Amino acid sequence: MNNSRKPIHTTDKKFLFWLGAAAAMHAAVIALSLFLWMLDANRHIRTRTIDVTFVSLPGSEGSRQSSDKNASMEAASYQSPEKPLARKKEKSVPEEPQVPPKKIPEEPVKPREKENPADISKTLERLKQNVDKKPQTQPASGSINSALAALQQKVKSDGNSGTGTGSGGRGGVGDGFGSGGNADPYLAQIASIIQNNWEFSNLMLRNSSGIEVYVRIDILPDGTIREIVFDRRAPIEYMNNSVKRALERSSPLRPLPPGKGKPDLWVGFVFTPEGIKKK
Amino acid sequence: MHDSKLGVFGLISDAGPVVLFVLAVLLLFSVVSWAIIAYKFNYVRKSRYESAAFLDYFFEVYNVEKIFTESENYRNGSLPRVFRAGYVEYRAMSDLSDVRQARARVARAIRRESNAEAKRLAALVPFLATVGNTAPFIGLFGTVWGIMSSFQNIGLTQSASLAAVAPGISEALIATAAGLAAAIPAVIGFNYFTHEIGTIQQDLDEFSSEFVSVCIKEQ
Repeated sequence: MNNSRKPIHTTDKKFLFWLGAAAAMHAAVIALSLFLWMLDANRHIRTRTIDVTFVSLPGSEGSRQSSDKNASMEAASYQSPEKPLARKKEKSVPEEPQVPPKKIPEEPVKPREKENPADISKTLERLKQNVDKKPQTQPASGSINSALAALQQKVKSDGNSGTGTGSGGRGGVGDGFGSGGNADPYLAQIASIIQNNWEFSNLMLRNSSGIEVYVRIDILPDGTIREIVFDRRAPIEYMNNSVKRALERSSPLRPLPPGKGKPDLWVGFVFTPEGIKKK
Repeated sequence: MHDSKLGVFGLISDAGPVVLFVLAVLLLFSVVSWAIIAYKFNYVRKSRYESAAFLDYFFEVYNVEKIFTESENYRNGSLPRVFRAGYVEYRAMSDLSDVRQARARVARAIRRESNAEAKRLAALVPFLATVGNTAPFIGLFGTVWGIMSSFQNIGLTQSASLAAVAPGISEALIATAAGLAAAIPAVIGFNYFTHEIGTIQQDLDEFSSEFVSVCIKEQ
């Protein structure tokens, strides 16, 4: 009987050993999965999103006024030098098939040519003259670069004189963007980048009127979006998510120009189904 | 920079106290289950291996003294242990004149040891069955509780959008997942050990009479 009881003690010890081993195994599995999760999270860095719906921050009124006064700079009108080019190419592809239908009306025109065959050369000459005259009458409208240069000059003049219309732009947290007014080329560029990364369809909305998303982003000097703050969310999550995705996809933006936003730069945007407006 | 709503750990960190308690209980169940599985696996495997080796020797030699000496090498086997109990009883008998009584005493000793061995083999295994049966329900309880809290929050926020409903439900479902994670290995282990222990017990029943006849025949 003693022989049969002795192993029970040793089996207790063995079981305790296995209990410890199982606990260690579970701890190891949890630690490993935690490590892998953190590794994965670091690989796909996500910007922190803070929902501060219905919280009015000091200075927010000023920024809204400025946006109203400045006729809502539509970001779609600006083109950033990187991504928009790619988009333009994409857009040009579907336009090409539209060219053949334009040729259709040329065939009915032929009878007119038959009516006045001698006037063809005269008409062509007149058209050439018109084409030659156009650049003289509208020298700046054809060139985007010249338009941008004009804008930059305007910004410089506004900044020097100190009469910029963006005086209320220091809304929110951190350094504002009011010093440059709404015509800041950097802000226009980042708005354009975000606009190009924004995938949103009005078809998903039953009623697009009054739907706005007020967002502020904190941009680090290297252009990384450190934080996204939703000042006001749209009632439709699809739009909120699309905005968040667009901002995450746009990060990193272009590096901040020297002297702009010493530690970082807060910029606000209003996303509407019609496009992005700067806050 | 990490989105706290992502990943299992993010969901656990947002879980309520009841769900956390349920998860802790399930973790404990899982740890104990795995400990039992590992311990029993070694125990049963050794027992089967040594019993098979002892039986080979037993039928090869058929000499009770030699068999007893050899059985000392199989300390973990169930059959050698039962045989030793019968042999010790046989040696303890001073009066071997009454063969019937001697057989009965040896048989009783072998049966006693056989029962003890069966108990030893089956020890802790019912816990696996308990975990296998209850862990999914405990997890389900955590899920139901979590969904209850989630619906309460939905009522408070007065928003029934997917964004408001989904996190609470996914957070609650972790409890069910944990329950299944604890239950599945326990059920597999329970079925395996039940089968193995049944086989050993069958051997014990089968060879108990053989041991008795071997001991008494030597006389």
